Amino acid sequence: MASKGTQASWLGLRHLTLMVIAFLMLVPFYWVIKTAITNENIYAYPPNLLPQNPHLFNFVDVWYLIPFPRYLLNSIIVSAIAVAGNVVFNAMAGYALTRQFAGRNVVLALFLSCMLIPFQATIIPAYLITAKLGLLNTYFGLALPMLSTIICIFVFKAAFEAVPRSLIDAARLDGLSEWRIIMRVLMPLSKPAVATNVILTFIWSWNNFLWPLLITRDPLMQTLPLGLARFLSYMEDTTGALYAFAVMVLAPSILVFLMAQKEFIRGLTSGATKG
Amino acid sequence: MIIRRTLLKTAAAASATSIIGMPAIAQGTKKISFLTWNIIDQKELIEGWIKRFQSTRPGVEVEWLDKKGPEFSPFYQTQLVAGTAPDVINTQGALGLEYAAQGALMDLTPLFAKEAAVKGRYDPNYLGNWVYEGKNYMVPFYITKTLLFYNKPMFAKAGLSGPPKSFDEILAFAEKMTAGDTSSGFMTLNFDWLYWPLLKMNGVELLTADLKKTAFNTPKAIEVFDRLAKATANNSINKIAWTGRWVEPNGAFGAGNIGMLHAHSPAYFFFKGQGSWVTPETLGVTHMPGNWATPNSHGLGISKSTKQPELAWDFLKFITDTGQASELGSRRKLLTGNVAVDKGTLAQLQKDDPMVHTILSTQLEHTDKMTGNWRLGNDSRIKEAFWPEVQSVLLGRKDAKTALADADRRVTRELGRS
Amino acid sequence: MGASKTWWGQQRNRQLALVVCFLLPSLIIFFLYRILPLGWNVMLSFQSWSPLRPAEWIGFEHYVEMWTYDDVFWIALKNTLIFIAASPLAIAAALGIALLVNSDLKGASVYRTIVFLSYPLMTIAVGIIWRWMYDERGGIINYALRASGLTDEPIGFLQDFDWALPSVIFAEVWQILGFYMIILLTGLQSIPQNLYEAARIDGAPAWARFFRITIPMLRPSLFLCVVVGILNSFSSFDLVYIMTNGGPGHATELLITHIYKSGFVQTKFDYAAALTVVQFALLVVLTYVANKGAGGNAGAVERD
Repeated sequence: MASKGTQASWLGLRHLTLMVIAFLMLVPFYWVIKTAITNENIYAYPPNLLPQNPHLFNFVDVWYLIPFPRYLLNSIIVSAIAVAGNVVFNAMAGYALTRQFAGRNVVLALFLSCMLIPFQATIIPAYLITAKLGLLNTYFGLALPMLSTIICIFVFKAAFEAVPRSLIDAARLDGLSEWRIIMRVLMPLSKPAVATNVILTFIWSWNNFLWPLLITRDPLMQTLPLGLARFLSYMEDTTGALYAFAVMVLAPSILVFLMAQKEFIRGLTSGATKG
Repeated sequence: MIIRRTLLKTAAAASATSIIGMPAIAQGTKKISFLTWNIIDQKELIEGWIKRFQSTRPGVEVEWLDKKGPEFSPFYQTQLVAGTAPDVINTQGALGLEYAAQGALMDLTPLFAKEAAVKGRYDPNYLGNWVYEGKNYMVPFYITKTLLFYNKPMFAKAGLSGPPKSFDEILAFAEKMTAGDTSSGFMTLNFDWLYWPLLKMNGVELLTADLKKTAFNTPKAIEVFDRLAKATANNSINKIAWTGRWVEPNGAFGAGNIGMLHAHSPAYFFFKGQGSWVTPETLGVTHMPGNWATPNSHGLGISKSTKQPELAWDFLKFITDTGQASELGSRRKLLTGNVAVDKGTLAQLQKDDPMVHTILSTQLEHTDKMTGNWRLGNDSRIKEAFWPEVQSVLLGRKDAKTALADADRRVTRELGRS
Repeated sequence: MGASKTWWGQQRNRQLALVVCFLLPSLIIFFLYRILPLGWNVMLSFQSWSPLRPAEWIGFEHYVEMWTYDDVFWIALKNTLIFIAASPLAIAAALGIALLVNSDLKGASVYRTIVFLSYPLMTIAVGIIWRWMYDERGGIINYALRASGLTDEPIGFLQDFDWALPSVIFAEVWQILGFYMIILLTGLQSIPQNLYEAARIDGAPAWARFFRITIPMLRPSLFLCVVVGILNSFSSFDLVYIMTNGGPGHATELLITHIYKSGFVQTKFDYAAALTVVQFALLVVLTYVANKGAGGNAGAVERD
């Protein structure tokens, strides 16, 4: 049984380590934001450690230069479709993979291999397929390739497998259908997995840049990262403006993370897993 | 949670169907699309042109798309495969030739034959940049070629009276202006063969005149590369010349501690914004020794797959016509390749901005001494086979003899492909 | 529970039908956007084709070219393997962070958020930011090194043939760390606490609890992290492209940049397809090895 003293120093050590790590992770951000709020020559040596004459013009400019609200709306809609589709389809697939059935290993291998195909290698066929489906330049077409992601399927699979069989068997004995088992037993106990799905899918669909570039012709259908990148193109990172926009595109994903991350605190009612 | 999700899904489905169900274009409208390369800063200008064009041609709609460098190719190639390539396209450098070789562009020669006056608008040397296998494929949109900028105060400090007149002088002057790490004598841009004047002034050729065999694996070339590598090693040529693309080299010159910059005219606007030292008194502008320069112009062409060839040609003529071209020239302070317009732009600049006038004048001088712009349909592949080897030499990683031999092998192989 | 032959037979079929139903939506998406494109690539790799030209069958020519002639392929292969080999270190670091953060430690959620902050950044943005951090003039890394006296001259991290790849990998690890942490946290959350309590009562020391309980129970999450590490060798394409474009020379050329350049810069789509097939095969092998190492079934753990 550790004494109070070593417990306290252990706590202190943890905090210290975490603070060092946090500092290292934040340095690039500080540097970016510092540049975003000044207009100094960012290549001058020695660089200023503190921002000189900070201002917010870079952030304001963008509002006037691109149809920001429209792009924001587009991104929100596409991400909403993607997140909704993912949570439903991935949970279904993840559950199916926890069951024993003939050919499970084949399906598993198939899913794993599907992950290993880079997007750049699929550009032309993906475009042609989407065109055939008549979904070019549409919200659904923008979201379609991302409606299910393999990593998130495996997250659900792992979470469902962590639920004790006794619970599932009990539910089945009670006569619950498969759907009900997922909804009433598995999902509530897999809140972190749902949160992970939401966060990751949101980030991937929000940041997706190349796909919207290829399938949107109508400038009003562009998503926010695409719109911002178009705006940045001729400025070629000479001033803080570029960095302001990098930070701006980041904000919604962080927001979603903050909202969802409370699921990562271990529930005090872990009694359901006992016995 | 279920309810929220259902709501979301319903909302999404509703918006999706509303977008899918958007009304189709009214019957009878003729539509063409116009793809530009990274000119979004002139949004107002181009939208103005489109409005003007549409107003004088009822029932016509022009769709404008702008893509920047690395996204241009995936977008265009995908559209090409899907059969919906934009009707009028703007490309940079040798890309137009590659598309022509690919069979993506419409041959403009017969159109020129019918309308000689249109062909006569353009500067013949720049127009010649886009002749492939004897056929015209593009017209100039805006033109540039490389020149030598130099930092007059640095020259004065090193006791140099004027810009270099030979390759030896370039290296010698550069060395004089070098001080350890803090300042370098010479910098060049390296993409799209922009550095080639350094080689051409020494008589080094990339390929034989028929473009079928390599011609650069010679003792002279080895010597030139060796000297350039040595100069890079002692920082008289700043190594950013070989590792940077646009921002780093121009930015470094703008910082004020590089003696000479070999770049094309748009670089001026970039480094001027970076360097407070740049004034008409302190910035020198001249040609490289031998008056050699690599062009890096933007061209306009028509996709072969266009469904509206007459309309596309009409639009192309419209953009490069006096009214529009002069607006582009004066707004962006560049030369458009339309001879009459450029004369007017230069005259105006002589009054408004003499520095830019001096710079742009160089772009029209010695246009018979343009190099680094071979009519290669596989320009990118040759570049990819050649440049990494040469870069290794210049950065001191490989010796010139081996690298040029390797490059010879690789370029020959690319040339041998159909 | 009484089970007649027919009922049991029915149930098995019903089960299969159910499983198929549940897998169908995802399978359709993957079929359209992964499997079909892969098939397209495989077909193309045996042909000579460029957009607007008809395809000609040329058999294994591209593969022969890759194997015997293309030294860029071999460099890219080597670099890709080095890139992938860096991930176990990153995963270990992320596990350490996840353990530290996985508790009701005061401010745990703040630390969690800070570490995760880098992941939602677009890889393009990460590439731009780190390219600037490494810059010789205005970059903070060089500034810190010179100000603290560790070096006199600025180091061109991204321009140096030896430093470029580690520098790129470092930036990639900075970004992916938060992701690993999230996956591992999700996994840590699902380990039943009673296992630890039982072990503590039995007198097992902390390191034994860690290696006997935590690690085995984390197998699925660790497996996922390893697979993501493998994936990152191509999903961090934008990062590499922006920072170095494969340079200097080919020092940071990865298979994915070689594929992209062959296809979209050199218009050698058929050769790029062959490269894609080879990369795919390589990654399948690595994933298979990882799966075996995790005990099969994507690391699933038997529970009661």
